[in-house]
Amino acid sequence: MRRLFFAICVVLVSMSAVAQRVEVRKSGEGKISINLAGYRTGGDTASRTFLSVLKADLNRSGYFKVTSAGAELNVAGSCVSGGGNMKADCQVYKVSNRQRLLGKSYKAPASGVRGLAHRVADEIIYAVTGKKGMASGKIALVSNRTGRKELYVCDMDGKNVRQITKDRSIVVGPGWMPDGKNIVYTSYKRGYPNVYMTGRRKPLSSHGGLNASGAVSPDGKSMAVILSRDGNPELYIKSLRTGFLKRLTRTRRGNEASPCWSPDGNHIAYVSDTSGSPQIYIISRTGGRPQRLTSSGTENVAPDWGENGYIVFSSRVGGRYRISMANPAQRTLRVLETDWADYEDPSWAPDGRHIVCSRTASYRSSIYLLDTLEDSPVALLSGSIDWFSPACSP
Amino acid sequence: MNKKACSFLFLVVLVAFVSVFSGCRSKKPSADMYGDNMLGDPLIGDVALNPDNMGLPMDGDRSLFAAVMFAYDSSQVNPEEAGKVEAVAKHLNKGKAQGVIVEGHGDERGSREYNLALGERRALAIRDYLINLGVDPSSIQTKSYGEEMPSAMGHDEGAWRQNRRGVFAIY
Repeated sequence: MRRLFFAICVVLVSMSAVAQRVEVRKSGEGKISINLAGYRTGGDTASRTFLSVLKADLNRSGYFKVTSAGAELNVAGSCVSGGGNMKADCQVYKVSNRQRLLGKSYKAPASGVRGLAHRVADEIIYAVTGKKGMASGKIALVSNRTGRKELYVCDMDGKNVRQITKDRSIVVGPGWMPDGKNIVYTSYKRGYPNVYMTGRRKPLSSHGGLNASGAVSPDGKSMAVILSRDGNPELYIKSLRTGFLKRLTRTRRGNEASPCWSPDGNHIAYVSDTSGSPQIYIISRTGGRPQRLTSSGTENVAPDWGENGYIVFSSRVGGRYRISMANPAQRTLRVLETDWADYEDPSWAPDGRHIVCSRTASYRSSIYLLDTLEDSPVALLSGSIDWFSPACSP
Repeated sequence: MNKKACSFLFLVVLVAFVSVFSGCRSKKPSADMYGDNMLGDPLIGDVALNPDNMGLPMDGDRSLFAAVMFAYDSSQVNPEEAGKVEAVAKHLNKGKAQGVIVEGHGDERGSREYNLALGERRALAIRDYLINLGVDPSSIQTKSYGEEMPSAMGHDEGAWRQNRRGVFAIY
């Protein structure tokens, strides 16, 4: 009981801290105003698309406010297309002292105009703030838009959606290889749930029973995976070179699910229900005694361990799922402010500031972008079909 | 007064009788298998599954036996559902089929990956029960569909109850 009281206190204190922070920053005064009115484009669709995507990316980044007058930063340059190619020049100046922060020229085929704009946006963000942007990232996700659950990939703005699998089967829980080039996912395409990787016909894991939740280590050499081959779903590490299996958990009376790696690759956070409800635990990659991370909420599932050291997860509080973030080193916990809907399957965006997750309202699941600092949630993919299980590229 | 005591005695006897009787009934699907674990989860001891599921059939006949229903977030085979498993064991033990794929399902609540593991545990609980009833372990394969293949499409307790199930695909 005392422990419960303590846990509630911790949650309340952290929540009030969040509320204060939001209040202070809500006015947007922390944002850098940037003026693109002087940026010249041709009259063609491609170069106009370039400018509108670039503006949207800068606004979405959370660091900037695109204005047309009286800005701290001016963007000059031009974008021209011709012969199936695009060329974009971009210079960023500080208005106060005319200091040039960026001056570069970019080229791409006209079909890749959105990708070019995303790249320029991230370069501007890095040149001005020194921080990594997210605009060039990709989201892997699942949809039943064809009537079957297939794997899709889209850009971080929810545009440029491509269908990756055409297996006419079921895809579950996609995640990225650390190089951001391929996606690991569970599929029933050969009848049983096995773990596959895009661009590779042979499954990564196809033992008897369940093969699920494959998550490849940051060094790309091993995969954390849930297998039931020994009679119960347990957490294993599988070497991707030799196929050697190391079993990490022995919970005859429990389920394990959803492993993810710490940024240094030494630990794995995962879900286990050995306590009677699904909670998040951390275990060393060499095995040993797991440490329980979560204590509040009736259910804590779907962890994702970011480069920033924070584990983001879905927490069931008061009958609905909300997004929480915990720092295991600092022992802090924070619940993000969201509306009445269910927010699940969070994934850190490449900038380490935003979180992509699913939002379920009226039994319809869409993809949302949440800002951990000040901006309001943004719908990336929504409509009359379901989108779920988003995973951001590294 | 006397009447009151009499009815009280009757009540005591009734309660005792019911508890003994129901105690017997709940023990029927092998008490030592469940032990005293109220969370359920029979595991007679990590019997390894067939090492390579590639050679096994993908599908079977699901129309022969009724599905085993489960409680919320539980993988325990309830006493009232045990008869369904026993019927399948009888069928297999008589050599009427090659084997069975036990398919575990869950309702839509909870995370998809957790439900995948939960569905597998439901299938494995049924598998362990079948093994306990003398069925050859190598003829029982498990397959979890998690929440991916609901049988009822609604979003209420009625639909959820129908979706928490273990299906027998006989081959």
